Amino acid sequence: MALIERYQKTTDISYWEGQIPMSYIYTVGRAGEKFFREMMNGRIFGAKCESCDVTYVPPRTYCEKCFARLEDHYADVGGKGTVHTFTECHEAYDGTKKQKPSIVAMIRIEGTQGGIVHWLGETHFKDVYIGMSVEAVFKAKKDREGGILDIKYFRPIK
Amino acid sequence: MRRVAIVGAGLTKFVRYAQETPKELAYEGVRMALDSCEMKLSDIECVVHGTAPDAFDGVHMKGEYLSDASGAYRKPYMRHYVGGGTGVLSPIHGWFHVASGMFDTCLVVTEEKMSCAYPHPAGAFLTIFDHTTEQPLYPTLIWIFAIEMNRFMTTHGYRKEDIALVAVKNKKNAIDHPSAQLAAEITVEDVLNSEVMAWPVNRLDISPTSDGAAAIILAAEHVARRVTEKPIWIDGVGWALDTAYWCTRDLYYPDYVEVAARQAYKMSGIREPSKEIHVAEPYDPFTYKELHHIEGLQLCKRGESVQMLVDGVTQRTGNLPCCPSGGALGVGNPIAATGLMKIIEIFLQLREEAGKRQVPGKPTCGLAQAWGDLMQVGTVVVMRS
Ligand SMILES: [Zn+2]
Repeated sequence: MALIERYQKTTDISYWEGQIPMSYIYTVGRAGEKFFREMMNGRIFGAKCESCDVTYVPPRTYCEKCFARLEDHYADVGGKGTVHTFTECHEAYDGTKKQKPSIVAMIRIEGTQGGIVHWLGETHFKDVYIGMSVEAVFKAKKDREGGILDIKYFRPIK
Repeated sequence: MRRVAIVGAGLTKFVRYAQETPKELAYEGVRMALDSCEMKLSDIECVVHGTAPDAFDGVHMKGEYLSDASGAYRKPYMRHYVGGGTGVLSPIHGWFHVASGMFDTCLVVTEEKMSCAYPHPAGAFLTIFDHTTEQPLYPTLIWIFAIEMNRFMTTHGYRKEDIALVAVKNKKNAIDHPSAQLAAEITVEDVLNSEVMAWPVNRLDISPTSDGAAAIILAAEHVARRVTEKPIWIDGVGWALDTAYWCTRDLYYPDYVEVAARQAYKMSGIREPSKEIHVAEPYDPFTYKELHHIEGLQLCKRGESVQMLVDGVTQRTGNLPCCPSGGALGVGNPIAATGLMKIIEIFLQLREEAGKRQVPGKPTCGLAQAWGDLMQVGTVVVMRS
């Protein structure tokens, strides 16, 4: 019975190769337009819902809790935050060993309920702790492209 | 089972390229639906979401991704998906939640952002075909429709120039629709002279790819009466799937639509659909599909839909207006949102709030239908004022 046979080579059985021929263009959206344009200015923006007293980072066009429209409530939230949680990654997304492990952290931006997932830099894994104060380090202005990698990483505030 | 009414509706513009993210599109549709009946998100007890392949928006687990934008934050939420049939399955899915007595209100949201898919969303369809017997031939969706249209035309002796009248009618109707993407005054010659995609399908026989979102709010009777003076009742629902092997279907006739329609008619007590349905929104992603579906819906006898069209019966001012909205051909076709757009059109027609699109004669019973999956699902909803 086929289901319990063990083939040693895929060429032992008939097959053909296929692919799904798709690629994508993702717009950053209305809130994303604000977020990334400001990022090119070296600023991190959020959106505040007054009635829920919540500030979302990155900004959104709407409050998910009460559905208020937030497009008139975008605000600079500064570049500082705390490490909410973190890890050190040794393997890349394709399963290969990384040459140099990277530290990934969820950073809660100060004064907000939102956050950004990013790399930590200018530090060592053994020195990182939950609650550590960090700040965004931006690329040089001429190198910014309006993407999340305009932030190089977050680093400890000395 | 309890009676379930539609009490509010929202519909974004349908466009080829939306700046909004899929989440932002869904939010706009929901916001409009809530505003239309002055309800708050806190009045909503559960949410259902209909959206077609993840491969369109390019987000796997798209239902989950869209949940907060669909008003589902910390609420019971379910996503369903039957391809192009999704938009008319969505109110059926919501209907279950309210009819069962489990919830008094349900927000139903549909969204599609096909412009994410590059170079064209058609690429996503290659792998719906059998991976060993069909995919090596590189079939496209247009192939299927061309093959089906030929079978339909030849079986009944229909002429292409008559079928083209569907595009003329629907694109013209869409001129009065504020969400429309492809509204236009065109002629039969324009359709026949447009580019041949796969004979007998020309470019103007096909609906566009679109971005858009739609939402409705369902309520149990005691809530509906409080919310609005003009609740529109979901009176019959039906859906059915034919075999997934398209080579074993005849193709000239949509049996799955007939099965779905008969289920909905039985529930709604309809014996003579062509007389008792006052206004219909059959699914029209292609010109011939409107006719194919009108026959499956028993709105005429098999082989008589073209005569009905030529005689003007399905015009907005005819005896049985079909696609007074402008349909997928005129308003646009953001797959899952299209079916719900059709539900919303019947909702507005039965409330006599369709403005310039209003059909005469104070309609009290209407129908919306969609079709999709592997071209073998029919979804039908009968509504009454
Ligand atoms: Zn809020």
